[in-house]
Amino acid sequence: MLKSVKAGDPLSSIEKQIDQDMIMRWAKLSGDFNRLHVDPEYARQTSFKGTIAHGPMSLAFLNELMMQCFEAGWAVGGKLLDVRFVAPIRPGDRIRIGGKIKEVQKKEEKYSVECDLSIEKQNGEKVVMGRAIGLLPGEEK
Amino acid sequence: MDKIYDKPELIFADLPVGKTFRPLDYPVSEELVQQFMETVGDRHPLYWDEGSAQRTHLRSPIAPPGLAAIYARLSYLQDHTMPSGGVLAKQEFDFHKAVYIGDTLKVKAKVMESYLDEKGRKRVTFLIEAENQKSQPISTVRLYAIWPK
Repeated sequence: MLKSVKAGDPLSSIEKQIDQDMIMRWAKLSGDFNRLHVDPEYARQTSFKGTIAHGPMSLAFLNELMMQCFEAGWAVGGKLLDVRFVAPIRPGDRIRIGGKIKEVQKKEEKYSVECDLSIEKQNGEKVVMGRAIGLLPGEEK
Repeated sequence: MDKIYDKPELIFADLPVGKTFRPLDYPVSEELVQQFMETVGDRHPLYWDEGSAQRTHLRSPIAPPGLAAIYARLSYLQDHTMPSGGVLAKQEFDFHKAVYIGDTLKVKAKVMESYLDEKGRKRVTFLIEAENQKSQPISTVRLYAIWPK
């Protein structure tokens, strides 16, 4: 969990290696068997030129990062805002889920921490961007 | 989870403002949480370790909040499949209360916006609200999509 935070501080980051097997497991978990995700031959014939990861999987990654940062203060009271899917994530991509603190406000007995979030590919290309607000207990500061 | 190829496509013409969908019942089992952790690679102790959970106000292990990304989508696609070529443009989540293993969520989706934008793209906004078996609000999701047809 975040202990001492101030605007501009980077969040710890998470790295993931994406492969087709992971995409297939997400399809099974979510029930989303769209051929663009699960059928490489079909996907090669589309404008994407290959399969891409499901967008909601990226939301799961952002939630993972926020749980690392805020723990219970994410599960209850967390807000994921303005999450935009800028570019597709493909099998073979190594991605980094990270962000930085934008603003910290004291609210009653808690701190409300606003963060800018992003998911980047190994070449630095941003594929998902968004913001989040999580809560930290006051005594942790 | 069964494949959904045999369901009809949900097309833009079927998504007027105000449309609601039959509520989704979404049981959150230990097996589902385990499958989520393995798929995503997120093994936060609050999902599986009683001791960690007891040291917080949560008191017992919870389900990963990221499950909302799954049940939100399912809430409007129980009886349909998504046409190919759709784009998930933007999404927002508010988490009101933790989901506990063994909970069964009731998830309701409603079309809040349905229009052609200045480029003629079909825009649809869903409001998705989940509550637990005690009718306590769990999460609110806003999902902004560009519909393919």
